[in-house]
Amino acid sequence: MTTQEQIQVEEKLRKVQELYADAPEIGRVALKKGVEEGLARELAAAMQRESAGRIGARQGKVSELTAIIPLEPGGGKRIRGLLDLLGGNFKGADIVGTLHDMRFVLLENDTKLLFCTAYDGEWDTYIDDFATKIPTSMDILFCNCAGWPGISSPKIKDWIVSHQLTADAWYVASPNLTVAETKRLEKIGAAVDEFLDKIG
Amino acid sequence: MTTNEAKTNMTAEQKLQKLRELYADAPEIGKAALKNGLAMLTKELAAPGHAQTAGRIGARQGKVSELTVFLPFVPGGAKRLRGFLELLEGNFKAADAVGTVHDMRFVFVDDDTKILFATAYDGDFDPYIEDFAAKIPNAMDLWLCNFEGYPGMRNPKAAADWIAAHQIAAEAWYVNSPNLTAAETRRLEKVGTAVDEFLDKIG
Amino acid sequence: MSPPKVELHEIQATVLRLRPAPYYGSHVLFRVDDAKAGHEFLRRLAPHVDSAANWWKPADAWISVAISYAGFKALGLPAESLQSFPEAFRVGMAARARELRDEGVNDPKNWEPLFGNGEAHIGLNAFSDSMEKWQRIVEMAREQLRDLHGVRVLAVQDFGMQPGDRNSLGYKDGIDQPAMEGVGVDPLPGQGNPIKAGEFILGYPGETGVPLPMPQPDILGRNGTYVGFRKYQSRVGAFNRFLHANGKTEDEREFVAAKLVGRWRSGAPLTLAPDADDPALGADPHRNNDFNYAGDTHGRRAPFGCHIRRMNPRDTQLTRLTDVNIHRLIRRGTTYGKPYDPNELSEDADNVERGAIFLFISAKAMATMEFLQQEWIDEGNFIGLGEERDPIIGRQEEGAYFTIPKEPVRRRVHGIETFNVLRGGEYFFMPSLSALRWLGEFQM
Repeated sequence: MTTQEQIQVEEKLRKVQELYADAPEIGRVALKKGVEEGLARELAAAMQRESAGRIGARQGKVSELTAIIPLEPGGGKRIRGLLDLLGGNFKGADIVGTLHDMRFVLLENDTKLLFCTAYDGEWDTYIDDFATKIPTSMDILFCNCAGWPGISSPKIKDWIVSHQLTADAWYVASPNLTVAETKRLEKIGAAVDEFLDKIG
Repeated sequence: MTTNEAKTNMTAEQKLQKLRELYADAPEIGKAALKNGLAMLTKELAAPGHAQTAGRIGARQGKVSELTVFLPFVPGGAKRLRGFLELLEGNFKAADAVGTVHDMRFVFVDDDTKILFATAYDGDFDPYIEDFAAKIPNAMDLWLCNFEGYPGMRNPKAAADWIAAHQIAAEAWYVNSPNLTAAETRRLEKVGTAVDEFLDKIG
Repeated sequence: MSPPKVELHEIQATVLRLRPAPYYGSHVLFRVDDAKAGHEFLRRLAPHVDSAANWWKPADAWISVAISYAGFKALGLPAESLQSFPEAFRVGMAARARELRDEGVNDPKNWEPLFGNGEAHIGLNAFSDSMEKWQRIVEMAREQLRDLHGVRVLAVQDFGMQPGDRNSLGYKDGIDQPAMEGVGVDPLPGQGNPIKAGEFILGYPGETGVPLPMPQPDILGRNGTYVGFRKYQSRVGAFNRFLHANGKTEDEREFVAAKLVGRWRSGAPLTLAPDADDPALGADPHRNNDFNYAGDTHGRRAPFGCHIRRMNPRDTQLTRLTDVNIHRLIRRGTTYGKPYDPNELSEDADNVERGAIFLFISAKAMATMEFLQQEWIDEGNFIGLGEERDPIIGRQEEGAYFTIPKEPVRRRVHGIETFNVLRGGEYFFMPSLSALRWLGEFQM
């Protein structure tokens, strides 16, 4: 660490201690322990928190989209029923090819939908492609959201932004691995195993 | 017959009928999409579902589970946590140390009175909390102390109960590579690099 | 339902008319210092701007006129109108450096002084098929400035076809163009199914069946389109040194050159001529684009990362759900400067003024260019190539390489550099002929 970096870390440590001066007991004890156990190192290795474009956070190549969306009357029931019938099957998501994970959660007595996903790249790059390639899947699912303009509407990007929250912190274990790259590695891994089996 | 079994025994055609009934009062755009998507939907509904649970709470696909919680802040907790997260600048070495987290997000909601914490991780819920309690109890206390009623990681069972009490079930959970744990992914990254080097040498 | 008939007589000729062969021309950039003078200039130019009526018939000389956002502001367009343009157009190409991935050597702070500072207001492109007609048409354009104070010439960039119709790196270029519905001709073999006109010209339905957003008022936006203007300097020395480093004989070097682009330098596509060049094929517009990638799913003929397969993946299986048809651009490429010479190997050869100036045309040119830069040029994820970039127009990092799929083991060529460096650019709007007249008569 350079002197400059050392000063920055000390400053950060000081700030954390200030922040936790009035924390509950558990927190103050933890901070003391943390400083002893090398919290400084954690504060030193800072990574740039990037953005996924207009909205959303990003780490390396993987972005997050978090949206809390009010539902149409009866929308919660329909979404629940649809997802139930699909039974955890999301061929559409496989075809999209960039979704690491995705969850649908109903909130506040089925009046709101929490939609969270981890995906590759910038947030709006492929929305036009969804509109021409998978418009039906998108509309069947999201028509249950209040004011859904349709995936093909020119208002769609603004509509998404109006319900989207940018995460205040976003962690990804392998931030440089896209879905495509992961699939490629899975193939290589399998091929290597086969090869080693043959020569072993 | 349980509801799940009943569902498994439904044909695609029966599921489609149920869907039509469900969407009888849907907005126009949804009804139209349903009509247009009949062929595609029949295929989707015919495929076997594989939704699982992550033990006590949460959904799971293959080896990867989800946890979604809304935690209420103590007075001053939001400010403290936000300040702390800013200082960390996206650095979560602690999560790296545990090695089973795929991703996690922290979203301040409801005018900073609550946090939405959503994560994807390997395995089941209770072992996951035990893992955190064993490996990084301090880091956990440092951020969770900001929430109402947090009992501390020294008692992992109490901590797990407290988290479970604030958890919300996901209606659906999708994972692209459900059989790839975080550790397996890291191993594959190393294999990929080694293979590239090898091919460069002989190519 | 049959596609709407496109009003060819309203659209500027450059949007549809191919550049002549041989071609000569100039790009002229103007700055408007006085709004009234600016309007007068456009009023005088308007009758001289060719429309796209009968665009498929050979023409000998024509001009087109386009205006940047800074230009519209200088012309005193009302705030309502100004606000109706998309954000990327409003802030200008330099301010979209992040979205365009114009970083490092391509960063706007390294651009030629006349670009990136909001001074390029009006762009005029003159095309012709002979030196003499070219000189006459440029003279005509200059005539319109006579006795007009308040509009001045910022820069003139002459261009012209090199011997053998080769570009600044020695390739025949400009072969593949998107085919459009309702514009009066059938697609050439290999251009694929025609794309809805609204993807390229404002006021018509696009691929979703809905017209793309159009600037207001209607007379300004309808039948207009957007043009991305980008000037590249070709580092000929570096390119030749790279070929020499990866090919001991001329044949080997030409093979590597072909693999980078997906065509032999004659224009013959590797997909149809995988082992040896076929100049006759390269020269024939009815054959040189007539292929798809169904028979080349491993990229052993045209590598996945080669330039033409990136710019138009056709039926290549991509790793992510993509509608190729909504990411196409009409390209008018123009070569400028000293002709390419395969024997120039010095570092000085990198700094000789030569390269390519492109007009990238579509009803959503900004969004498409930014998509292409992010997804198909400065990235390889869409075809499973990790971080590999386009070897011809990609901005390369240290240690860049290019993968050539091959049996039994793929070949990786190292030493890929940024062979075409971005020197500047701007986003323009190319209005219809009625819109030009309306702008000419505009009273503030």
